[in-house]
Amino acid sequence: MTRLTELPAVLMAVRNLRRNRLRSVLAALGIVIGVLAIATLGIFGNVLQLAALNQLGGIGDQVIVSPNQDAGADSLTARDVAEIERIAEGRGTAVPLYSEGAAVSGTGGESGFANIYGTNTPAALFTAESGEVPERHRQGALVGTDLASEVDVRVGSLVEIGGNTYRVIAILAAGEDISPVQPGTAVVLPESEFAAGGYDQVVVQADSGEDARDVADEIRDRLNSREDRVSVLELSSILDQINEFLGLLNQFLLGLGAVSLIVAGVAIFNVMLMSTTERKGEIGLLRAVGVEKGDILRTLVVEATLLGVIGGVVGVVLSIGAALLLWYVSPIGLNIILDPSNAVYLVVAFAFGVVISLASGIYPAWKAANLEPVEALRD
Amino acid sequence: MTRSRSAGAEAEAAGVEPPLLLSGVDRTYERGGETVHALQDVNLAVDAGEFVAVVGPSGSGKSTMLNTLGLLDTPTAGDVLLDGREVSDADDARRTRLRKEYIGFVFQDFYLIPTLTATENVLLPTVYDADAKARPRAEDLLGRVGLGDRLTHRPTELSGGQKQRVAIARSLINEPEVLLADEPTGNLDTDTGRQVLGEFERVCDGDVAVVAVTHDELVTEYADRTVELVDGHLEVR
Repeated sequence: MTRLTELPAVLMAVRNLRRNRLRSVLAALGIVIGVLAIATLGIFGNVLQLAALNQLGGIGDQVIVSPNQDAGADSLTARDVAEIERIAEGRGTAVPLYSEGAAVSGTGGESGFANIYGTNTPAALFTAESGEVPERHRQGALVGTDLASEVDVRVGSLVEIGGNTYRVIAILAAGEDISPVQPGTAVVLPESEFAAGGYDQVVVQADSGEDARDVADEIRDRLNSREDRVSVLELSSILDQINEFLGLLNQFLLGLGAVSLIVAGVAIFNVMLMSTTERKGEIGLLRAVGVEKGDILRTLVVEATLLGVIGGVVGVVLSIGAALLLWYVSPIGLNIILDPSNAVYLVVAFAFGVVISLASGIYPAWKAANLEPVEALRD
Repeated sequence: MTRSRSAGAEAEAAGVEPPLLLSGVDRTYERGGETVHALQDVNLAVDAGEFVAVVGPSGSGKSTMLNTLGLLDTPTAGDVLLDGREVSDADDARRTRLRKEYIGFVFQDFYLIPTLTATENVLLPTVYDADAKARPRAEDLLGRVGLGDRLTHRPTELSGGQKQRVAIARSLINEPEVLLADEPTGNLDTDTGRQVLGEFERVCDGDVAVVAVTHDELVTEYADRTVELVDGHLEVR
């Protein structure tokens, strides 16, 4: 840094900026606001996108296959299930489910209505909040946490469903994801508790959104080749659209920020033009006593750039403060605020601020450097 | 005119190039569709240590002549020789370098920068050079013009005469061979004017050629030689 300030152009630029501190500060303030606008709007948009993905993530990984009731099918055949399992293999886990709605009541008499799922392999779809989700589900009920508190049961309690009593072996976590299967308000029973017949749906828990889409496409191709026997619900394409929308929103916010930075650039342009006009005599004198055009040009460009750098640094610091404030006042997690992708917006805003300042300084500097000393000294 | 020509000739005869020589210089420019002949066949040689006053009414071409001498303006025809070197067709970069090397300027309005101290103002021509010896030289120059106790004063804290002496010190910082002064006493009262002109005499003693354009008859008292510009023609008084 000492090296830098030893450069005559930098030294002179700093000296010139100090001469009219208020004006320098106001010009830098424009850049502060511009950088702040770009960085915070960019970060906020990005945080929104990250938070939304965090919430919606699960949506895209699941494929729900159910019989197409319009075509007269009301259950999936064992062949269908086998086919789906084959398609899903290597890209996720297919879990065939029975499902129906039923009243559930606890021993205390409280009751509620719940989706009852029947499966022997619940572990792929459900996680336990307390108790344990068995690999092979043979007896007992898994009760969603919301339902459990509604009917007041815990692990070891008894619940009554459709006239039968089951022991609760696990309470299911609600899951943060938005998903077509809502474990929080569900009860999961072994398949043997359902009347024999076809499955009501198959949920494929895919390894990624991409896999989910491929699996869904393949299921449609294979099972619906002659007639629409099954309907396939797969949300990764919806997720893509949400993502696309959020990306667009982000660009829009950045655009707003950019406008304010360009306005700030105009302010710097104006300040530089004003201050060079004011210093015309001085610049003429410097030229007359043998200071080269290039030195004048460099000094003035450095002046403008310094305004941008100072404004940019302050803007970045304030933006970090704004992001932390967002974390403080909103339920958004610190991990999302501190996501490295947010830093990109800080860097971009800073760089843009400096570049705008530099660009705004070039014309006034060029104009001043090319003044004829005689003309400059005359007024 | 003949005498000024002969002055150069004498110097040439003695084998010494005059630091400054105008030979057959014309300067015309267009103004409002009219051709103005600011200088016509001007011949002038200024020797080292000589103090030449250029007088003449407003619009007689005094400023144009000083700018031509100072390489701030280029002649339409004729030659400008600086230290015996032809410089009239030098490009901007070369003229800038030559000004720095050979020429010092003193202006009627001083052109001191209000936020800088006297020493910093004197240093201004050297700010873009990494010249560690410039500061002691500046302080020494200020001492020589009698401002050794005003080194850290700002222009607002100085009188008119003191300001012009700072300006003279500034014009000498690059150790020029020629000092060009535009109405150096124009903003000063008579007593202060005399002090400043005394400084010019001392500058001449240091073998620097001084050319001052002026309306002020006082300047001619101190000058070794006075020439008069009338409608672009140089006449000896």
